[in-house]
Amino acid sequence: MLPNRSRTSVLVFLLPPLLLYCAAVLFPILQSLFLSFFSWNGISDMEFVGLANYVRMLTADDIFWRSFFNALIYLAICLVLQLGGALVVASLLTSLRRGRELIKTLYLLPAVISTVAIAFLFLRIYSIDPVGLLNQLLHWVGLGSFERAWLSDVNTVLAAVSAPEGWRFTGLYMLIIYAALIAVPKELEEAAVLDGASKWTLFTKIRFPYIRPVWITTTIMATTYGLRGFDIPYLMTNGGPGQSSELLTTYMYKTAFTSTDFGYASTISVFIVIECLVAVGLILFMLKRKAD
Amino acid sequence: MITQTAPATPRASAPSSPVHQRRRRKPSLYRTLSRVLIMLIVIVQVYPLAWLFVTSLRTEHDFATGDPFALPSSLTWENYARAFETGDLGRNILNSFIVTMGANILIVLFGMMAAYAIQVLGFRLSKLVRGLFLIGIIVPVQIALVPLFIDYSAVNLLDTYQSMIIPLAGFALPMSIYLFSSFFEYIPRETYEAASLDGAGPYRIFGLITLPLSLNTVVTVVLVNSIFIWNDFIFANTFVLSEDLKTIPLGLQNYIGAMGKVDWTATFAAVCVTITPLLLVFLVLNKAMIQGLESGANKG
Repeated sequence: MLPNRSRTSVLVFLLPPLLLYCAAVLFPILQSLFLSFFSWNGISDMEFVGLANYVRMLTADDIFWRSFFNALIYLAICLVLQLGGALVVASLLTSLRRGRELIKTLYLLPAVISTVAIAFLFLRIYSIDPVGLLNQLLHWVGLGSFERAWLSDVNTVLAAVSAPEGWRFTGLYMLIIYAALIAVPKELEEAAVLDGASKWTLFTKIRFPYIRPVWITTTIMATTYGLRGFDIPYLMTNGGPGQSSELLTTYMYKTAFTSTDFGYASTISVFIVIECLVAVGLILFMLKRKAD
Repeated sequence: MITQTAPATPRASAPSSPVHQRRRRKPSLYRTLSRVLIMLIVIVQVYPLAWLFVTSLRTEHDFATGDPFALPSSLTWENYARAFETGDLGRNILNSFIVTMGANILIVLFGMMAAYAIQVLGFRLSKLVRGLFLIGIIVPVQIALVPLFIDYSAVNLLDTYQSMIIPLAGFALPMSIYLFSSFFEYIPRETYEAASLDGAGPYRIFGLITLPLSLNTVVTVVLVNSIFIWNDFIFANTFVLSEDLKTIPLGLQNYIGAMGKVDWTATFAAVCVTITPLLLVFLVLNKAMIQGLESGANKG
């Protein structure tokens, strides 16, 4: 604590940020919680319905459950591409002697592009008429039988809208993991190599345990970003065909702004927040416990 | 978990020649393999963007009929002319710039102030307040859409720059506070104590010591947040309706014509124009930006 500080000075510094934060984040969270107990279309009078929205969501709404499981698959694909890809590339990069900076820059490039541009780009990559990049590539390598309209096929559309999100941010996580990997003390690695450790042992026994704190942070980041994924599915398919690429976020958005069912939409967003908190709790529980 | 049969040479034994050779050859094979793999992955990351640019220079006919991987038969700037005719790209870029600047000013100034109050000044409930701010890192932004939409329409803030700036700044504030707090930890207490003895109050210390010392962190915070704010789609899409206020992501949507028919080559030209500003900043400042992104999580 600073000796000459006064109560007023604390308030002067703290109040403006706190007010902004309350207005934009904390108050809306409470407001959503409040709205979730009402039925309201934004125009007529609000009607208190108690837990009816929650009962409807959990027991009577097939689209909700469909979106929930879709969101989990979306998350899984994003995590594999982002964290798996990031770990592989970061590890490979440490063995490189030159060009590391260039590769870091190139790899991060997609993160700078807006989601709308990415949606446009992937619409063309997946397209069948005129033939898009993916289908053309399949044709060349002799997998022509897999050619299809990726975004209209109910079996592939979810993976097709998840991949761009994974692709977009893998560079970001790679940077973070790479920075952690090069901070592993060289003496530790050299000692292990002298003791005859293989690359794989070196990785599992020395490097990974050392970067575990950073791995926990990145896993939490990637998971919470994955659970709030919205732009790309919304822009590319708007949840369709049917509900095959509907996520909780897109379903919530449509419930709020297409069906103007503010009460029920708030119930879904409360669920999304709880889902995020549970996910973060689970990650901390699993990864921390393994460390002990 | 040893999958590879490692040569179990005891450390004491002198390196016999086969071991020596193997040690030299194996890393180089490994290195070649990893080089190839890295090249492949980099191509996957970069090729689509290069393709996007090349397509923006194709003629429409070439795009509709040709092999997508082939180089264009002739180059044309016509798509760019059509892109500027269809949408108000200049306006969109200006709006994105205003929103990004506005949000960044709030994020930096308020982030610094809150971190200063929590970390340097200190007060009784500072742990609680810090915890409150941390919630914002985990909570998804979608929770704020319905409440803010209702609140904005009550106070006539819908369809304004502020309607985008407030939530963008609010949700970025926790990370900014976190970065500034971890930096302020490194400023030695003695610096503050010496200044206090000289009679400087909390405001002067903030202006004369804390602020000038944290310029590096300011750059980090601005660069990292600019990526997300410049490209924000969800808040702009929810709160903004009028053409005059549309930011780049919304402007790009105008290129989806009636009946879903899209003038693809012009759209790609528009995409190229709109990603250029941020891309230039990124390429010029990529060292600082990469450092910022790395430090963001590694401090945690």
